[in-house]
Amino acid sequence: MTDTTTHRPGDTAAGGHRTAPATQCAAQPGTAPGTAPRAGTSTAVPLRFRLNGEDVEVHVQDPAAPLLDVLRHDLGLTGTKSGCAIGYCGACTVIVDGAAVPSCLQMAGLVEGRDVRTVEGLEGPGGLDPVQEAFVARAGLQCGFCTPGHVMALRALLDADPEPDEERIREVVDGNYCRCTGYVKILDSAREAVARQKTAPTTEEER
Amino acid sequence: MSTAELPIAPLGLGRAALPRIVGSPVERIDAVEKVTGRAVYAADSRLPRMLHGAVVRSPHACARIISIDTSRAERLPGVHTVVTGADTARVKWGAFRPDLYPLAIGRVRYVGDEVAAVAARDPETARRAAELIHVEYEVLPAVLSLDEALAEGAPLVHDDAPGNVAHEFGFDRGGVEAWFDRSDVVVEGTWQSERQWHGSIETIGCTAEWTRDRVSLWVNTQTPFLARQRYATALGLPLRAVRVVQTEVGGGFGGKSGDDNTSVICALLARRAGRPVQLVNTREEEFLASRPRIPMRYTVRLGFTEDGLVTAKDIEVVADNGAYTGKAQAVLGAATVRHDALFNYRAVRAHSRLIYTNLEPTGAFRGFGNPSADWAVGQAWDLAAARLGIDVPDLFLLNAVESGSVSPHNHKITSCELKQCIRRAAQAIGWQAKRAERTPHRGLAMGVSVHVSGRRSFGDYDGSSAIVRLTEDGRATVIVGEGEIGTGARTTLAQIAAAELGIPVADVSVPRPDTDLTTHALGALASRVTYVAGNAVQRAAQQACERLLDAAARQLDRPAAQLWVEDGTVHGPAGPDGEGPVSAPVGAVVRAELYRPGGEPIVGLGSFDNPSEFPDGSRYGNESGAYNFVAEAAEVEVDPATGAVRVLELAAVADCGTVLNPPLAEGQVEGAIAQGLGMALTERFHWQEGAPVRPNFSDYKLPTAGVMPKLHIGFADSYEPTGPFGAKGVGEIALDPVPSIIASAVADAVGVRVHELPITAEKIYWGMRNGEPGAAVPVTSAPAVPAVQDPSPPAGADRAGQEGDPR
Repeated sequence: MTDTTTHRPGDTAAGGHRTAPATQCAAQPGTAPGTAPRAGTSTAVPLRFRLNGEDVEVHVQDPAAPLLDVLRHDLGLTGTKSGCAIGYCGACTVIVDGAAVPSCLQMAGLVEGRDVRTVEGLEGPGGLDPVQEAFVARAGLQCGFCTPGHVMALRALLDADPEPDEERIREVVDGNYCRCTGYVKILDSAREAVARQKTAPTTEEER
Repeated sequence: MSTAELPIAPLGLGRAALPRIVGSPVERIDAVEKVTGRAVYAADSRLPRMLHGAVVRSPHACARIISIDTSRAERLPGVHTVVTGADTARVKWGAFRPDLYPLAIGRVRYVGDEVAAVAARDPETARRAAELIHVEYEVLPAVLSLDEALAEGAPLVHDDAPGNVAHEFGFDRGGVEAWFDRSDVVVEGTWQSERQWHGSIETIGCTAEWTRDRVSLWVNTQTPFLARQRYATALGLPLRAVRVVQTEVGGGFGGKSGDDNTSVICALLARRAGRPVQLVNTREEEFLASRPRIPMRYTVRLGFTEDGLVTAKDIEVVADNGAYTGKAQAVLGAATVRHDALFNYRAVRAHSRLIYTNLEPTGAFRGFGNPSADWAVGQAWDLAAARLGIDVPDLFLLNAVESGSVSPHNHKITSCELKQCIRRAAQAIGWQAKRAERTPHRGLAMGVSVHVSGRRSFGDYDGSSAIVRLTEDGRATVIVGEGEIGTGARTTLAQIAAAELGIPVADVSVPRPDTDLTTHALGALASRVTYVAGNAVQRAAQQACERLLDAAARQLDRPAAQLWVEDGTVHGPAGPDGEGPVSAPVGAVVRAELYRPGGEPIVGLGSFDNPSEFPDGSRYGNESGAYNFVAEAAEVEVDPATGAVRVLELAAVADCGTVLNPPLAEGQVEGAIAQGLGMALTERFHWQEGAPVRPNFSDYKLPTAGVMPKLHIGFADSYEPTGPFGAKGVGEIALDPVPSIIASAVADAVGVRVHELPITAEKIYWGMRNGEPGAAVPVTSAPAVPAVQDPSPPAGADRAGQEGDPR
């Protein structure tokens, strides 16, 4: 994780935070940014996996490093958040081969050849995934820091079970911390997402 | 039961008809960037050549630094710089009592105190380098509790604070002893609150970059302008040398209001490295070295006449400051006086002391002292109700303040619907029915609280100013320095501007605070932004709208008084010459006003200062222009076998004046209740040698969705005459009464009253068995106050006859 890694666009519209020139994050196969071995780190090993529908290759110094760090620092995908680094808070939730996992506990080397989805990879007919639309419509967020984790956990749920019952919804929301909302509107959003999923084609079908 | 269905008496406040956009569930203007992960939080900033920092912290509660050897760290490949106290200006800083060095000079005072820091090419290298810094200490005796700090001959945490007293004040207004003499019933007790951490899912972080002799700091701060002043002091720089820009803030709750060293150290590292540096707390650091809620040992004595009128209140408060002061002395002030704006006390007396200990420094946390005060004083009120044989809601109604009341500290209550809140909260929880048919091991309780809408604390100004700029594309930019910490403040301010301007909310943008660009603002604290900044934005938008209509009057050839703006278009009636109605898009009017000889922009400036008084040294003074209120009632169930508490239902009715955006206001109440439940039931650490054991979420349990009770949220029909469209603050208040309510409900259920937070199953279990205290567990401060059997009768038929009708 050197200063040669990918940069992502900053908050330029809202206060003039100067950022480095943006480069493509979800890159074409074989041309992913951040793949160049670091200066003086000839021991870096290549890691290839499918990320948000694209094949990527990244050179990591330590295959035992958390996937979270590789996503955020090497690949510049900062939508996935770090809240505790010990797998408790759920802010870093991503989907690996269909399962919601805390990326802070997922060894990067073990996603070799697997399918990883992050919040940056979500999309839907109107631009947003139905889960994201639901959080917008039902005010399911405040500070928004835990939101990508909640969204990914619910995306994984709906992919596995498009019509989960109330108990299952609560079980999934119960797995992620939120310090702002008291969960009322996150649960509303989850129920809304189920309803929207029924009326919209799933992202799987779109692919 | 939905509180919305309850009949509300018309209030006849003479309020003007409100614009349609006010009170409508407008979508958050930042929702899409947050659900897509595009919002840029502190740790998401990326600057070219940016390094990452790590901090070396003291492992000792009190020690002298003999030497610091940084050579091994400096030799590690990838390390760019190391800083220690020797590289600082050696200036102490702090909001009220400067006592904190950016990096320790000579001595460390708590486990977590910052000693040195490293900047390296990546976070891992920085952390490894930090471990290579060898600090030689001479361990000194530490004071690890209030009692140790107050003991005769105790070691001093700071040499200039004899007796370890950081701050002390008191008052006797109205002569309490005479009123106690005339009281029929007097209740008394001591209640202890506990350190509570903000637990924002995003930790504190900063990115710093120097250009020549000036540093820019991108910080997730709640208070960019106040933080800037303090950081400049800490760095030994003139104010103009520091610029602060607010990043997205992943939760604040008082914890990101600029009393900790992270940003200062980040700036020091970036200066020495000659490159941008990012420094973000780990979760462990956030638990060891942020500024959690102040534990208070709060002794309260209340007097009443036999018919239930409150006479006097006497309190003795001892607060655990920790090693450095931050905002703790202001918090203690609020904890001492704020509650007295809730009931019609005839006399009040207080003696409050803030005591240094060699423990983690404490500070501002949502509620700002109120939750500790409401916890103790609320318990005393609950005991008094039982002694008087008056049902709690009735006792509250007998004594509650109302519009026009003035507290012993000169709090001037303008709008107040506290009594409405009490009645509706009782109805929403089904108070009468639950009292009539008691269920074994279930308990019912109510609590109330008062909060400010802004507080005059930082000099004699609690104002805000805003610039509303209409753009040639028909939009509006609201330039205001208050910022956003997640509450939806930017959305609410956009709504106020849109309502005044007659343009859609989606056409209003509210940029983030930048001390170079936006107006000066005190920021997101004291539930102030909606009320104080809302007024400023409203006035700015009114002025911009007047100028827009003046320009349109010239362009459309109609008198300005006949023009109006609707949905982004200026409209006018038919002219006297019979020409038809006229109209022009706002953007076209703005553009035409610019593109002419001597053309001018259309800009409005608005300003508002809270109509309040700067309290004196004894905290006398009307600290806010508007007060918000809440009544909450809860039903709990206690497992008689284990003592475990389950909160079944909680009803809250808040008086925040006009509700500008219902989902946002509900979100504030719901989230505050969750934090209150955490404070009441689960949030604590086990401590060893002055530090939390395993400082992470593994041991510190935030409430999850699964433990939340069924909530009934309502808002009083209320209108604050000095507020924007009648609105007051709502950000903090719903947290305040929760711990007291849960404790009272547990006492109602099984007759055990816990005196020390949190209210754990263990304490209740032992309380149910012979009134013995819970098993000895190390606590941060003060000996355990045992859970004791209530002097009042336990749950059951004995009490059923006492239930009154909550009017």
